[in-house]
Amino acid sequence: MNKIFNINSALTIFIKDFRSELRTRYALNALIMFVITTLAIILFAIANEAPSIEISAGILWIVIFFSAMSGMARTFVSEEERGTVMTLHLIAKPSTVFFGKLLFNLILLFLMNIFTVVLYLILIPSFIIKSYDIFLLTIFLGTIGLSAASTIIAAIIAKSNTKGTLYPVLSFPILLPLLMIVIKSTKSALEGIEIAKAMGDFQVMIAYFVVITAVSYLLFDYVWKD
Amino acid sequence: MVFKIILGIGLTLVIIAGIALPMVSNPSSFFELPVVPGLEDKARIIFFHVPTAWVCVIAFITALIYGIQYLRTKEILYDIKSVTAAGLGFLFCILATVTGAIWSKFSWGAFWNWDPRQTSIFVLLLIYGAYFALRSSIEVEEKRASLSAVYSIIAGLTVPFFIFIIPRIVSSLHPDPIINPQGKIHMNPTMLVIFLASLTGFTAVYYWMFNLRVRFSKLMYQQQMKEQE
Amino acid sequence: MEFLNQNSLYIVLIITLICWFGIFGYLFSLDKKIKKLEDKINKE
Repeated sequence: MNKIFNINSALTIFIKDFRSELRTRYALNALIMFVITTLAIILFAIANEAPSIEISAGILWIVIFFSAMSGMARTFVSEEERGTVMTLHLIAKPSTVFFGKLLFNLILLFLMNIFTVVLYLILIPSFIIKSYDIFLLTIFLGTIGLSAASTIIAAIIAKSNTKGTLYPVLSFPILLPLLMIVIKSTKSALEGIEIAKAMGDFQVMIAYFVVITAVSYLLFDYVWKD
Repeated sequence: MVFKIILGIGLTLVIIAGIALPMVSNPSSFFELPVVPGLEDKARIIFFHVPTAWVCVIAFITALIYGIQYLRTKEILYDIKSVTAAGLGFLFCILATVTGAIWSKFSWGAFWNWDPRQTSIFVLLLIYGAYFALRSSIEVEEKRASLSAVYSIIAGLTVPFFIFIIPRIVSSLHPDPIINPQGKIHMNPTMLVIFLASLTGFTAVYYWMFNLRVRFSKLMYQQQMKEQE
Repeated sequence: MEFLNQNSLYIVLIITLICWFGIFGYLFSLDKKIKKLEDKINKE
């Protein structure tokens, strides 16, 4: 099988998805409202008590995880719903489709996470970051790892009958190693540890992203083909 | 046939030896086990708890391998083998979690501590539960087989990570892993023999169950094919 | 009751052996049944 892909084609797919989302804006609005609603529920549930460092780090990633679950499946599911899967099959190699969709999910998740983090910083009073470098790197590496895993799982569930429910069920266990490391690293950022000490965590995050992307790339052909 | 008789007798001996051999402070003969301070008789669970976890790992790796084979050849037999292995792995994972919880209760006082090893085995249950949820949500046989194969590969890759790596990097309540960093095995020889025999026995039982289920599924599949003609 | 408390380990042993023989016997009979079915189907 010819595994060389064209970066331009992948970019084209990304731009197509990006443009269609911008045009209709259904998804964007829903996702923004999802983040706001979830944070509102959390604020309501906390009720003025200041959660401990571990809890606030954990809750941040819960919100990010579930926002990803609402948003990351769109690229594949919308193709199924609009009936454009066949066209995509014809015009592009599977690996091209994969990288285009992955890029889209990456950018989308980045935007969502920046929004979530900013809101979280403003709304949760006890969430005070002491080591900004660790925090930013964690968000960055966590986002790319999260989007890589979400993309391949989204491709898998797009063909099933119980898409929406199945998506978090399939994704959570696969994402758990990443979530554990990322929460630990966020906690370190809140505690003010120097970046040199947190390097081990970052290595795991990078390894996770590399392994998941490599495996997804190899397996995507089988998921995509009929 | 002979192997099955050997297995029957062998595991029976393991059970008897594991439970009935006396535990003394200074084992002098081969037929005496050392006392583990604090645990005493309850340490015998190691002969049964660890093999279930071990078989679980083997089963999930088998599911991964047959998943790969299915994707390569598209032979439905490999899908049958992959799902059977995943099912047995799930069964032994439940057994490992339950026996682990029992050990946890009388060792550290609570059935569940969210200790990294316990969390890992629980996550494995989630992963393979999701596997069966995925399978039941796709009706087209070929699509189901290929998507399950892909998922079993991704899931199977996380198994070594959970079972071997996490307990090393995060500090845990769990007793020392048997194969520790220095590569030495610290068990008393009698215990080692019983332990390894138990491991072999459980693996053989797993393999027998696997074999039976695959044969049965094959028969069902052939029957189905015949009815469709 | 005293007897049971004294020899509880042996009670555990007997129960385990009963479970094991039960499972073993079940697997054995399944094996025989499947073999019979296979022979039947392969003969046709």
